[in-house]
Amino acid sequence: MNFRLATLLLTLTGLVSPLLGAETAIDGRVTLPKTHAAPVMNKRYEIVTKGGILSTNPPLAVVYLEGNFPLPPPGPPQQVGQKDMAFVPMLLPVQAGTRVEFPNYDDTYHNIFSYSPVKRFDLGRYRADERPVPSVLFDTPGLVVLRCDIHEHMRGLILVLATPHFVVTDADGRFRLTGLPAGRYTLKAWLDSRTTLARPVELREGATLHVDFP
Amino acid sequence: MIARPPSVQPGLASFRTKLLIAMMLVVTAVTALALFFSQRNVATNVKRDLEREFQGELAWFHSVQEIRHAALAERCRALARRSRIHAALEDNALDLLYPSARDELVDVMDGGQQESWEPVAHAFHARFYRFLDSRGAVITPRDDRDVGPLRPAEEAQLALRTAPDQPQTGYLRRNAGAAGETVDEVIAMPIISTESGQPVAALVLGFKPIALPAKSATPGMISGIWTQGLLHLPASSEADRAILAKRLTQELAAADHAEHSFPIEVGGSPSLLFYLRLNPGSLFPPAYEVCIYPLTDSLARQQRLLWQFSGAGAVLLLGAFIASHILSRRLSVPVEKLAVDSEENRTQRQRAEAELELTHEELQRSARFSADASHQLKTPVTVLRAGLEELLAGEKLSGEVREEVATLVHQTFRLTSVIEDLLLLSRMDAGRLQLNPAPVDLVHLIAGWLDDLGALPDPLELTLETDYPDAVFIEGEKRYTTLILQNLLENARKYNRPGGRIRIGIKVEDGWAVLVIGNTGAAIPASAQEHIFQRFHRGVIGENLPGHGLGLNLARELARLHRGDLRLARSDADWTEFEARFRLAPPTPATPNRAA
Repeated sequence: MNFRLATLLLTLTGLVSPLLGAETAIDGRVTLPKTHAAPVMNKRYEIVTKGGILSTNPPLAVVYLEGNFPLPPPGPPQQVGQKDMAFVPMLLPVQAGTRVEFPNYDDTYHNIFSYSPVKRFDLGRYRADERPVPSVLFDTPGLVVLRCDIHEHMRGLILVLATPHFVVTDADGRFRLTGLPAGRYTLKAWLDSRTTLARPVELREGATLHVDFP
Repeated sequence: MIARPPSVQPGLASFRTKLLIAMMLVVTAVTALALFFSQRNVATNVKRDLEREFQGELAWFHSVQEIRHAALAERCRALARRSRIHAALEDNALDLLYPSARDELVDVMDGGQQESWEPVAHAFHARFYRFLDSRGAVITPRDDRDVGPLRPAEEAQLALRTAPDQPQTGYLRRNAGAAGETVDEVIAMPIISTESGQPVAALVLGFKPIALPAKSATPGMISGIWTQGLLHLPASSEADRAILAKRLTQELAAADHAEHSFPIEVGGSPSLLFYLRLNPGSLFPPAYEVCIYPLTDSLARQQRLLWQFSGAGAVLLLGAFIASHILSRRLSVPVEKLAVDSEENRTQRQRAEAELELTHEELQRSARFSADASHQLKTPVTVLRAGLEELLAGEKLSGEVREEVATLVHQTFRLTSVIEDLLLLSRMDAGRLQLNPAPVDLVHLIAGWLDDLGALPDPLELTLETDYPDAVFIEGEKRYTTLILQNLLENARKYNRPGGRIRIGIKVEDGWAVLVIGNTGAAIPASAQEHIFQRFHRGVIGENLPGHGLGLNLARELARLHRGDLRLARSDADWTEFEARFRLAPPTPATPNRAA
């Protein structure tokens, strides 16, 4: 009942929006892999490795639009903090050229580094009061695995994308991308370090396209 | 004592020799057995001692190895916890693996400088290390300065089928240039993911092999390592090594013992080779610790033992020889004596038999002669008497001549009597006289004789005393019993003195009838007493008396024929007494005829 109502509302919004602001958007749902873990109540995510594949637990996906459109200058620095011996957020998509800061909110040292081919860096040991906050500029698209040299269980993922249009789904896999240009593009859904789904899309001005993965 | 017959000697000698040989065989066998067992015991002891030593040395070896394993395992656990190692392995940054591990492993590498360190500490310093990826392949470092140089072929030997989940031990043969060939102990430690619990990689470290204690209890012991058909035995020559490696390879191919030993010749001297699998169950090729202990010492001991035992055996043998000699002597004495005695007995018996035969023949001959002579004499005597009696019956003879002729006739009677006695004796001598025993009444016979005596003139005026029952039946034959009585009674009358006595008594006792006939008169001299029963013997006092010296002899022979006897009871002063014993006749219901 609720679902129908929501669909109706969405449809209405889709019909009304061009009239309101003429926004071009994509919404839809990514079917996320089932997780065997109990529902996470505290919304605390972690990066898991299974057979060398990194993914979030519970699963999340990043949906982004790739195409030949002019890139806007990268936005302001983003942050991946370290809090309670974990990266917050676990999974951060950024546009290439974005600087990411790694503030330490714990009482202990952290040593964030990455051996990922996309970006190798080593921030060294630092505490919460380190100023300026250590940061890294991610200029090459790709997946960066964040690690802490001191706390080997800590994992974080930064997905560097060559697009400003990206969004992280909710726990159910729902997403909505707004402010898109019209034209023919490719819509991609990153599921884990090995799996990225792609779908060609044609966007019309002021229309909302509905795409479900897969 | 007769001379020892020569035939006895060889038998005894052979008996003695056999005894001696048997004893010497026993002694030799005992010595040989004792020698054999003690030799074997020595050999076993030596082997056991060496085995214990080998195991002791290897125990030390193993304990060092275990400590090393434990230390390395801890090191690898630490490595596995290292984010950089994981990052390098998981984030496709293998080029960063060795730099990431370098800091961690810098103290593991000895840098070739700590050769002089004490061995236990030295045992923890690697000569090289490499990483294996999750498939067991070697991750080649970009720069081997920090990780220890390895030739590509050597490096390739470190690869395993898969990343191990347990520590693996192997041995790597390396060509160290001028220093020759060396063997490095290789330990592959798994790097277990802290997340998945699966081995994601392995760290392979190469160590200088743990050297066995330099001061071995057995001088001359050499030790080495066998792996992949080749033997690393620095202390031996090339040729020995090749032979040993070949032999070991055969042994290991024949039976896959984890631990074993076998005797072998090394450089011409017998040795005992022990080997023990160093890496049981390893993914690396099997390797064996090989220890060769020279047995020269043990052999010398065995040789000494051989001499000692041979000496003891010889002394024992000598002792046994003497003992057996004495013993055989002592044992053989009774046997010898027995043999001699039996020989003597045999000889004596043979002689006695021969003599008996001779005597028998002589006896037969003399008896036959007597019988022949008697027969031959009887006829002329009869003819002579008949002639004389005819002469006497004639009228032509004067009274004086007639007297003479009458005496001659009487002499012919005497001659006949002698001939008859001789005939009887000769028959008895020849054993031809047999009694037909029947009950004979002695009293009746005596009475008959007394009647006859009464008819004769009695110039001596003899008194007769009798003391006997009414009848005494003895076993005998009347005509011969009569002869005995006649002889005895005639003698009692003949050898009496004038006015003397004759006493006749019969006593019955214990189945015997004892007839005693005594008479007065000169005693028989003591010297003559034992001869009176011999033939043709006559008492010295009776030279002028009738008789022919056969009577007593005949009487005794006849008495013995009656299964009785006759003896001189006494003869002293004025009294001579003969005693004749007869067997009483068994009582019969029918009363024997007195007149018979």
